[in-house]
Amino acid sequence: VKPTDAEKAKQFVSYAYVAGVSLFLLVPLIVSVIRSVTVAVPGGGTILSIEPYFDIMESFWPKVYLSLSIAITTILIDTAIGVPAAYAFVRYNFRGKRALFTLINGIWYVPGICYALSLILAYYLLYKWFLGYWGFIAAYSAGFLLLMLMTCIVAFKYVDPCYEESASCLGAGRFTTFFKVTLPLIGPGVSAGVLLIFVLAFNEFITAFLLNLPTRLMTAPVKVFADITRARSTPYIAAEAAVLQLISLAVVIIYLRVVGTKYLRGVILV
Amino acid sequence: VTIRDRLKPLTLLTPAIALEVGLFFIPLVLLGLVSFTSRDSFFFQPIWTTENYADMVTVYGFDFQITFMLVILAAFVDLIFGFPFAYIMTRRVRKFSDVFRAIMLVPLFGELYIAYGFYYVFLPGGPLGFIFEALGVSAVKAMYSLQTAVIALAVYTFPFAVYNIGISLQGIDRAIEDSARCLGAGSVETFVKVTLPMSLPGIMGAWLVSIGWGLGAFAIPTLMGGAMVSQRMLSVEMYSIALLQLDLGTASAIGVILALIAVIIFYFSLKASKGALV
Repeated sequence: VKPTDAEKAKQFVSYAYVAGVSLFLLVPLIVSVIRSVTVAVPGGGTILSIEPYFDIMESFWPKVYLSLSIAITTILIDTAIGVPAAYAFVRYNFRGKRALFTLINGIWYVPGICYALSLILAYYLLYKWFLGYWGFIAAYSAGFLLLMLMTCIVAFKYVDPCYEESASCLGAGRFTTFFKVTLPLIGPGVSAGVLLIFVLAFNEFITAFLLNLPTRLMTAPVKVFADITRARSTPYIAAEAAVLQLISLAVVIIYLRVVGTKYLRGVILV
Repeated sequence: VTIRDRLKPLTLLTPAIALEVGLFFIPLVLLGLVSFTSRDSFFFQPIWTTENYADMVTVYGFDFQITFMLVILAAFVDLIFGFPFAYIMTRRVRKFSDVFRAIMLVPLFGELYIAYGFYYVFLPGGPLGFIFEALGVSAVKAMYSLQTAVIALAVYTFPFAVYNIGISLQGIDRAIEDSARCLGAGSVETFVKVTLPMSLPGIMGAWLVSIGWGLGAFAIPTLMGGAMVSQRMLSVEMYSIALLQLDLGTASAIGVILALIAVIIFYFSLKASKGALV
């Protein structure tokens, strides 16, 4: 059946709306990139230049490495803790399961500033050894564990337990079954958790902002914020913001090219 | 069932539970305790008091009003733009759907970039400054207006709103809509009498989630919205009271109330959107 003109028009309007709103969501990213390459020249006028990206080499890139290192360590810890926990949630029935999951859910819902302040208090009073690099890791591991849990739960639900049963029937031990059968099957789901935790931990701002004072460690997003409040809008600040967003975007695009959106749907996307 | 089988899920869950107890529940309990002490006395010789909570009404009542007005307005903007978006995404979009999904991940990068982006857009001489000049509106005024802060907050919370509405739209059995059409209802009538009421839980969930996330925003109120918002939004206020004035008791009390409100909001939004996975 050929679509009628009215249907075509409806389809066109629908796409135009979705594209328009999407474009608006991209405004901050686009603006950062444009601003970062627009440099004023002495005597008036502006030119296109990638000079600001070289200007931030020395002061900004070490902070990007710090943020990357924090994000990657957080991912490793949350994978090691989250995958077994998700397995327990999907494959076992035990008393208090729903209550436990709701409680773990709670962390996602406490506003960032409240969580950050409570952590600072706990670090000062109880966990003094966390007033440093590992304080960031601890905060993010606890804060973002839920994302790993959710994506892994979705992934485990896609995997029929009969594969695991057949493997053990055929003589594989528990570990062989897990590493040779289960893990390859849930791999993409785990990777969705990895992606979300990377994007959020790498760009996390408010906890890092509060931890900046006692730890004297400045992550890249905190540096961007500090520069904005100090110098407002200059090309090199735009370059800093653009670098962080472009790294995040690159990771998202690579992930979507390799894995697709399947495992993110039902967790954070429709 | 042997005891070993019963212990299995527990062993698998122990690290996760330990992590959440140690770094979430215990800190929150501490926040609660500190909120009942005067200023920073908890660190030396705790002076117990309930005065911090009395201040919430007398001193910070207006700040609560401003904060909630801002996040509730942003949540409505999310619904107005998010419902058609979610509807089209779940019903009409086939081609490029993954491109649009990818774009929905961009606001998750954080409110800092959203704040910076819109901040620069509205700067005099910025990319959209000419529109304001043409309209005879001062761009600086626009930048520091409440509306701009609301729009920036709405962008930040948009993906969560679309997600909640989309999930509930996907849950509607299309056969019910088709039967309404077969029984003679027009497309508008079907939408108003069938689709909209059935997606109401999702809409409610989206509204609440948007409010919950908005409450935690820090960079947007600091950089936009003018003096009113940047000084009196509760998240910013908490930071300056705690770390600049060192009045940890008052800051903790604000934190406890915000956290309680957020948890109540999310409890109802989870119920409304049936978002629980287990």
